[in-house]
Amino acid sequence: MGKLIRTGAWILVALAGAFALAGVALHRGETINSAWVVTAAVCVYLAAYRFYSAFIAAKVMALDDRRATPAERLRNGHDFEPTNKWIVFGHHFAAIAGPGPLVGPTLAAQFGYLPGTLWIILGVVIGGAVQDFVILFSSVRRDGKSLGQMAREEIGRAGGGIALLTVLLIMIILLAVIGLVVVNALKGSPWGTFTIAATMPIAVFMGLYLRYWRPGRVLEVSVIGFVLVVLSIFAGEWVAHHAVFGPWFTLGGMALAIALIIYGYAASALPVWLLLAPRDYLSTFVKLGVVLLLGLGVLIVRPDLQMPALTQFTDGTGPIFAGKIFPFCFITIACGAISGFHALISSGTTPKLIARESHIRPVGFGSMLLESFVAMMAMVAACALEPGVFFAVNSPAGIVGSTPAAAAATITSWGFPVTPEQMHDLARHVGEETLFYRTGGAPSLALGMAHIFSQIAGNEAVLRFWYHFAIMFEALFILTVIDAGTRVGRFMLQDFLGHIWKPLGRTSWMPSVLLTSALIVAAWGYFLVQGVLDPLGGINSLWPLFGIANQLLAAVALCVATTILVKMHGARYMWITCAPLAWLVTVTYSGAWQKIFSDAPRVGFLAQARLLEAGPQTAQTKQLIFNNRLDAVVCGLFIVLVTAILADSVRVWAGILRGTREARSLEAPFVPSQLEAEELG
Amino acid sequence: MNRAWASFWKTLVAVLRELADERAYERHLRMHGRAASGEEWRRFSEERLRQKYQRPRCC
Repeated sequence: MGKLIRTGAWILVALAGAFALAGVALHRGETINSAWVVTAAVCVYLAAYRFYSAFIAAKVMALDDRRATPAERLRNGHDFEPTNKWIVFGHHFAAIAGPGPLVGPTLAAQFGYLPGTLWIILGVVIGGAVQDFVILFSSVRRDGKSLGQMAREEIGRAGGGIALLTVLLIMIILLAVIGLVVVNALKGSPWGTFTIAATMPIAVFMGLYLRYWRPGRVLEVSVIGFVLVVLSIFAGEWVAHHAVFGPWFTLGGMALAIALIIYGYAASALPVWLLLAPRDYLSTFVKLGVVLLLGLGVLIVRPDLQMPALTQFTDGTGPIFAGKIFPFCFITIACGAISGFHALISSGTTPKLIARESHIRPVGFGSMLLESFVAMMAMVAACALEPGVFFAVNSPAGIVGSTPAAAAATITSWGFPVTPEQMHDLARHVGEETLFYRTGGAPSLALGMAHIFSQIAGNEAVLRFWYHFAIMFEALFILTVIDAGTRVGRFMLQDFLGHIWKPLGRTSWMPSVLLTSALIVAAWGYFLVQGVLDPLGGINSLWPLFGIANQLLAAVALCVATTILVKMHGARYMWITCAPLAWLVTVTYSGAWQKIFSDAPRVGFLAQARLLEAGPQTAQTKQLIFNNRLDAVVCGLFIVLVTAILADSVRVWAGILRGTREARSLEAPFVPSQLEAEELG
Repeated sequence: MNRAWASFWKTLVAVLRELADERAYERHLRMHGRAASGEEWRRFSEERLRQKYQRPRCC
């Protein structure tokens, strides 16, 4: 009887999912309610978790709770510690959910809600969750080894080095592009700039509190920090209107970029307990709270999606970034569908906390599904805005015209009516001077979130608070990624330079710290300034570059995963990771080729350089020409690196399948688990 | 229902304390047989944060 009810329930889930998905895919003309999208996503996630992940866990991985995990065998109370599965789930989710799943879907909304929605739902099931699951499993079976170590041992010596170099390059592009998102959100916004500036003394206060006044009380000081940050949002409105302070915090793009670069350098070189760590604690809690609030808000409000299913920009003429729906939609949305960066987390802290092998499934597969749901919420929030407003906020002046009237006329001519008065009223409602030309996704997402939150708590009168709350939330955790990323980049560089001259590898030697911090900050700072100067908005060139890099890292992870599956089962189950790998290779190679060689100047870096060369040559034009050529070289370098690891992987697979190469498993030997259930508090 | 809520709440607090490194600090004290103090926290957090910020962060 119980089995019959369960079967019936799963048939209902499948039918509801299929019906909602068909509704989302086939609906045209009028607006559609977000409940359709949410139902489709949730039903597909449930079915994928129940059936696909169970199949992989049982047939492919043969997860075995009798086998001791590295957390038990190598337990040391620091990294290796058997932990309750829901705690590991929360830890892993907090680590994988960065700004990517919020910003990517918002930018991809320029194609309409349909392409991004389908990619988020299907991409996570076939690609992202599988990648995270298999890499986590592989790392757990290999004493918690990192992706680079596994690449070196399973594929070849070059694999590890390539993975490391790819990660360093991606981080440089990532830090620049998310820095640009913050700059575009805060330029000309004294309220937002003050609030973000205030988080720095608040973080220093938290650091001192934790170190000297109430050591170890992290949750307590985080609550105090959160209250202070909320107070700073209220103070921000007063500052913005103050005759003296207002202008201090009204900064242009270049001034904000320089401030960010200085901040990144300071955060990398200062003691970590003083600024970075307290901000990180605060930002983690705020991030989890806001993501939960956004999910609940969308479920309660269920806004209509104003954006059409497909816009005319599927043809590649989009104002936010140029390029056709294939491959650029699939590059723009990485986190939420599939993200190579997750492989670093799945082979970092998480495998060292897994107490039982059966926990790998909810943590690896389940938390990626939850991140996909966050991406879906971001897509809903962006598409709930009127399309005219969405494009007015996100389109750069170089595309729509440099005055509000010109921008509104251009956007209206696309079939998305908007007026300068409407934008002025909206800006006034959220306490801003203007909302035009804020390319990058953060302000439009903040507007969408503010609309949803204000319908739950308050009304139009509190819209301004929620808008600045959302901006604060986005900027806070983007800055945390920037400062932590700069520091990590510095360590990676020190590790590399230490091979050339030993003292440079010493992480506590101040001259080395200052030099390597400066080199890393200069690298991402260069690309950030390039984005600020770019008349096409910067996002047009940097976000696809970041997306290509991130998806290529996913290709590296899937090469490692496929190699491991081939060693375990021969060709039988290699389709599980080969299918997403084939898709990613097709998408990224095609995207990279177009970004380098396309004849359309807004798409191809070299075509853009040629176009600029044909015009009058000023110092700025020469710089733009150099920047475009540099972007083309970076893009080409990514492709060369990943081609090398792909070719190496195919060589290993072919050898094993032909029988000319030994399929030697590098798993740690089986040791029976002695862990008692009550140990996992 | 109350038990389910209590269990949910307990897990939520445990997740937050793990993210806040408070549980790791407790494990550190237990493992080394030491009592909580300002000096001990500083020793623990320096090592913990040094390791934490050497790992790449997700986007």
